[in-house]
Amino acid sequence: MSYHASIQSETHDIDKAEPDSCIICMEDVWASYDARSTTIREINMRVSAGSNYAIVGKSGSGKSTLLKIMNGLMIPNRGTIMVDSHRPDQHNRRFQSAMARIGYIPQSLGLVRNSSVLDNVMIGALPRMGALQSLLKRYSEEDMAEARRILEMVGLSGKESRKAYMLSGGEKRRVAIARAFMQNPRILLADEIVSELDSVTSRDIMDLVAVMQRDTGLTAIMIHHDMSLALEYADRVAVMQEGRKIMEMGIDHDHVHILDFQSGNLTTQEILEMYDDSQK
Amino acid sequence: MIGAVVALVIAASWHIEASPVEFAEGLPRLWQLIEEVMVELTTVTDNMAYNAVWAMLETIQMAFIGTMVGYALALPMSLLASRNLASRWVYVPMRGLLAMARTLPSIMWALLFIIMVGPGPFAGILAITMYTLGFVAKLQYESIEAVDADPMDSASSIGLSRLQLIRFVVIPESASHLLGHLLYMFDYNVRQTSILGLVGAGGIGFYIITYTKYLQYGKAVFFMLVVLATVLVIDWISVKLRDRYVVKSQRGVAADMP
Repeated sequence: MSYHASIQSETHDIDKAEPDSCIICMEDVWASYDARSTTIREINMRVSAGSNYAIVGKSGSGKSTLLKIMNGLMIPNRGTIMVDSHRPDQHNRRFQSAMARIGYIPQSLGLVRNSSVLDNVMIGALPRMGALQSLLKRYSEEDMAEARRILEMVGLSGKESRKAYMLSGGEKRRVAIARAFMQNPRILLADEIVSELDSVTSRDIMDLVAVMQRDTGLTAIMIHHDMSLALEYADRVAVMQEGRKIMEMGIDHDHVHILDFQSGNLTTQEILEMYDDSQK
Repeated sequence: MIGAVVALVIAASWHIEASPVEFAEGLPRLWQLIEEVMVELTTVTDNMAYNAVWAMLETIQMAFIGTMVGYALALPMSLLASRNLASRWVYVPMRGLLAMARTLPSIMWALLFIIMVGPGPFAGILAITMYTLGFVAKLQYESIEAVDADPMDSASSIGLSRLQLIRFVVIPESASHLLGHLLYMFDYNVRQTSILGLVGAGGIGFYIITYTKYLQYGKAVFFMLVVLATVLVIDWISVKLRDRYVVKSQRGVAADMP
C-alpha cells in the first residue's frame, strides 16, 4: 500500500456530512450492559450511504456493542441514533420494516448449525415471505434462483444440502455472507467476519462485499481485527478504545485523512504503528 | 460431607426398619424361589408364549401411542415455557402446569384414568401420555433455552416472526436433543407401561400381577423375561438411532464451538 496521511481541519466531521447521505447517525451515544459499568460512551458517528465503514480496536473496546445498537439488539442509555431514518429498536414497528434489509453477521456468524447451507441462506428471504409459505418452506422460484446466484457468487455451488456444522471456517463465513446478501440488504453489519482466516480467504471475502457494494450501493459497517485490512477496503476507519472512539480516518484512494485526531502528517506505516501502540 | 450422607442413610434405614440382617436371612428363600421358577419355566406352553408376545406387543403399542401423543402435546407447551421465547406472564404459569403433570408418577395417573374410562389399555395410554407430557416438556424447554443466542439474535435482528424463529432456528438447533428425548422417553415408557397392568391399566403387567397373586412365580418370571428381552432390543435400537442421528449431530455442534 502507498497511502499517505495528512491532517484534515475537519475535527468534527459529523457536522459536515450531508444529512441525507447519513444512513447511520449516532450522536453522543452511551450504552451499558449493567448499571455498574459503561460499555460505550460519547460515540458520535456518521456513516454515509454506500460507504464501507470499518471499526477497529482491541477486545472489550465496545465494537460489537456498537453493532448491536445499530441493529436494535441493544438500546442505548443516552444519545440519539438513527439507522435508515429509524430509531433502532426491535420492538419499534417502524424499525421492524427496515430490519429485513439490515444484514447482521455476529462474530460467531449466527448460523443454524444443524440446517443445510440452503436453509441458512433462505433465512435471509423469510421476512419478505408470507407466514404460511415460509413455515412450509415453499420458496418462490425467484427466491430460489436468487439463492443459487448468491451461492455461486460466494463459491458454494453444489454445497446447498450440506449441513452448516460440516463446513470449514471460510465456508461458514461465506454462508453467513450469502444469508445477508439474500436479504438484498441496504446495510451490512459484520463483526470480524474475516478474523482467524488466512489472508487469501480474508481478501476473497472482503472482495465479495466490495462487489456487492459496487453492484447494489450497500453500506457496510465492518469490525476488523486487522488494521491493514481496514485501511485497504474501508472508506473510513474508526478506532475504538475502552468504549470511546479515539480516532477516525477517512481513506480516499491513496490518502488517509485523520479526521478528528491532531497528530501531524502520517504514513500508513505510522498509523499502523500508532494503532499497535494504542492496543498495547 | 460424605460422613453426614452415610449417617443420614443409616438413620433413614433404621427409621423405616430396612434391615440388612433381614436381607441376609431372606437370601436362602431367593435361591429356593429360583429353583422353583427354573422348574416351572420348563412347563411354559405355546399358548402362554403367545399370550406373552401378544401382551408385550400391546404394551409396546400403549407406550408408543402415549409417548407420541404426550411428546406432540409437550412440544408447543415447552415452547411457551421457554424463557428465551415467551414472556414471564406465559412461561411461569405454563411451567406450573407442566410441574403438576410431572408430580404424579404414571401409575397414579393410571389409577385416575381407570376411574375415568375404566380399566384397560386406554387408561394406560392416557397415563403414559400425561406423564410424558410433564416429563418430556421439562427436558424440551431446557434444551430450547440452551439454544445458542447468536443464531437467535441474527435471525430475529432481520425481522423473523416468532413462528419463523421457532421453525428455522429453535427446532433445527435443538433437533438432536429433541430426538434424544423422544428415544429416551419411549425407552422409559415401555418399562413404565409394563407395570401399569399392576393396577389394571392393560399391558403385560396384568399377567405378571395375576400369576404373582396365584403364586405362579415361574409364569410371572417368564413374562418378566419377555419384558427384559424386549427392553434390551428397544435399548439397542435406541442406541443405534442415537449414534446415527443424535451423537453425530451433537459432535458437529461441539466441534464448532470455540
